[in-house]
Amino acid sequence: MATDFWASSHYKRWIVDRAAVQRARAEDRQFVDDPEYLDLLAIFFANCISKLGKKLGLRQRVIATATVFFHRFYLKNSYSETDPFLVIAACCYVAAKAEESPVHIKNVVTEARSLFSQEMYGVKTFPSDNSKLAEMEFYLVDDLECDLTVFHPYRTLMTLCCKEGSSSDLDAEAGELGVGINEGHRYWGTGEGKLELQEAALQMAWFIINDTYRSQLCLLYPPHMIAIAVINLTLVLHNPTRASIQSSNPPPASQAAPTRRSSRQASHHAKKPVQDPVSFQASLNVNMTQVATIMQEIIALYTLWDRYKEDSNEQPKGSLIQNYSSPVTNSSGSGTKRSAAGVSVSRSTSVNTSSGSNGGTPMDLAGDVEIGEDGKPVITPAFLSKVLLKMREAKLADLAKGGGGTARPMAINKMIGRAQAAG
Amino acid sequence: MQSRLATPVAQSSDNRPDSFSRADLYVIVNQVGEGTFGKVYKARNTVTGMNVALKRIRMEQERDGFPVTAMREIKLLQSLRHQNVVKLYEMMVSHGSVYMVFEYMDHDLTGVLTQTHFSFTDANLKSLCQQMLAGLAYLHHKGVIHRDIKGSNILLNNRGELKLGDFGLARFYQKRRRSDYTNRVITLWYRPPELLLGTTVYGPEVDMWSAGCIMLELYTKKPVFQGNDDISQLDAIYKVFGTPTPERWPGVADMPWYELVKPKEIIDDHFRALFKKWLSPAALDLAEQLLTYDPSKRVTATQALEAPYFMQEGPAPVLPIGLSTLEGEWHELEAKRERERVKKRRKTEGEFSQQ
Repeated sequence: MATDFWASSHYKRWIVDRAAVQRARAEDRQFVDDPEYLDLLAIFFANCISKLGKKLGLRQRVIATATVFFHRFYLKNSYSETDPFLVIAACCYVAAKAEESPVHIKNVVTEARSLFSQEMYGVKTFPSDNSKLAEMEFYLVDDLECDLTVFHPYRTLMTLCCKEGSSSDLDAEAGELGVGINEGHRYWGTGEGKLELQEAALQMAWFIINDTYRSQLCLLYPPHMIAIAVINLTLVLHNPTRASIQSSNPPPASQAAPTRRSSRQASHHAKKPVQDPVSFQASLNVNMTQVATIMQEIIALYTLWDRYKEDSNEQPKGSLIQNYSSPVTNSSGSGTKRSAAGVSVSRSTSVNTSSGSNGGTPMDLAGDVEIGEDGKPVITPAFLSKVLLKMREAKLADLAKGGGGTARPMAINKMIGRAQAAG
Repeated sequence: MQSRLATPVAQSSDNRPDSFSRADLYVIVNQVGEGTFGKVYKARNTVTGMNVALKRIRMEQERDGFPVTAMREIKLLQSLRHQNVVKLYEMMVSHGSVYMVFEYMDHDLTGVLTQTHFSFTDANLKSLCQQMLAGLAYLHHKGVIHRDIKGSNILLNNRGELKLGDFGLARFYQKRRRSDYTNRVITLWYRPPELLLGTTVYGPEVDMWSAGCIMLELYTKKPVFQGNDDISQLDAIYKVFGTPTPERWPGVADMPWYELVKPKEIIDDHFRALFKKWLSPAALDLAEQLLTYDPSKRVTATQALEAPYFMQEGPAPVLPIGLSTLEGEWHELEAKRERERVKKRRKTEGEFSQQ
């Protein structure tokens, strides 16, 4: 999109502070046993969006936009007071339209029904007629303040790290973002000095970006900052890249990634001098403390994600770093390469560290939840669906009690959202 | 005259407290236009007293919910900011409808050209032409094709400022790659020959043809090519510019419908002879460059702004600030209604005389 990020609604209205994110969950926190479940729910819902998006044949970028819409909607609403599955469907539907690849409303209803009717989601009644989704769409667009232009880290990644003239389909997607509309220089000063990443490293960075949507990062930081944090993580996590950095580096390599030195360009015959990571970082002229914070948050996300199992029969995987060292290119499922990869990576990273042995245990949906070896419940979609159901019941019970007290924070919550949007 | 902004469709959204206050913010004064995808009203902000244009997005007959075209228009307008592009102040949801809130423009070009109370000087006309091209240059720089440049979408205010409006058909295009789009865009009279000949691969140059039509219309006061269908539209163009030849337009024979609508006889180019009584030599040059058959040779908006018509030949452009003395507001809608009133009067008069 040929727009200026700094003049956009994304930057002006939809980058919020952590307190606002906290406030947005205030009501939900009243109805949940463990506040951490709310963060796990965010992972769960983002996975749902990814799955539904994949079924609808949406590109990764559209899925990302849908996820951002979802997070924005829940800055103003609570999980316990809405039907997140209907919201998910609406987010996918609106995102597809907003990103110029519309799908038919009937398809969305059909696919959402078939997906969420799976037992683990515990959705008994996903509405079958289009009008419910259309109505939800209306509320969604209203709460999104009609701000439908979303910026993503993907473009920054491609601008900074894509090999020139590379004909990968990553590039094709980048092209669809309107990169040809010479504005790359706007963020990057001279625009010179790309950091060329190896194909596999670039792909890993792409997948990490996909993963960031499982957290609230897209509400807290500008996309280009997330992209830079992801590039840094990739330099560390991608084994061949890290090895080439280390091999060229005299011992004290125990420093943080941004200060590592590399002479990767020695092995590359580039037409123009390719920058090493350090001068690359220096040339970016961005707040490196913030980049480090974002990196921390991504790592925290993966740690949390380790507790989450998408399937009961999921094979335990190695640790995050080992896992990433294997060529990620091979981890593809069905459907389009990227959307499939997005899901497969999310799986490969959802490592069950607590109980490597109990993968394959059949889930007990009717009875109590499965307990891992560490005494904590095993987090699965079925478990989280139950958490959600409980939250809604608690909310209803609270309302029945004449719980005007809990209706209040909601209203204030909304006001804050409005005030922020207006500001 | 004034009606409260209250649509009969009261939907469940009404119980949301925040939608009340915003609905009362604007009071509708009257309808001023019919956009591509919904009615346009003049309304007044009850707090500031400022006028705005409200464009209601038709939702009721949309089975697919929020129209994708409206979404496109919103996204486009939110990303545009230029003195010659109409400004979208905000979006408003009220009584189950979505409204786009625009800065109010007193007139549109069609309305202003049909009125006879105020006449533009040549310097005014040059200014209008320049402002239109500046708006287009900005859009094209931003990667947007308007695809519906015509008199009623060119808006004017009493300060003499011109702004492009109605982005209902506009879309982003890619500078590097030519993509396939629909060729059913641009109102017939302003549609370039390549679209009339069926091409679906095009770029911003389609807007430049329309701009050429507008430039001529500024001087002649009425649309120059008035066809009834694609074929008669081509004929109207050929009558002025002659039939296209492979010398003037190398790609013409490759146009999808070229064989289907091949002209029966060869017509010569009469453009200069026909228009020299209205346009100065430099104006004729520019109009000719805008209305070039071969899209690849058609002048771009940025190039057009550098033309001798603006840079060398007098008079220098002057904003038509005299519009503020003009009584009433002139939009195509009123002009159309006026025509219908006249027609009706004539008809009834005719009936009387028959009796």
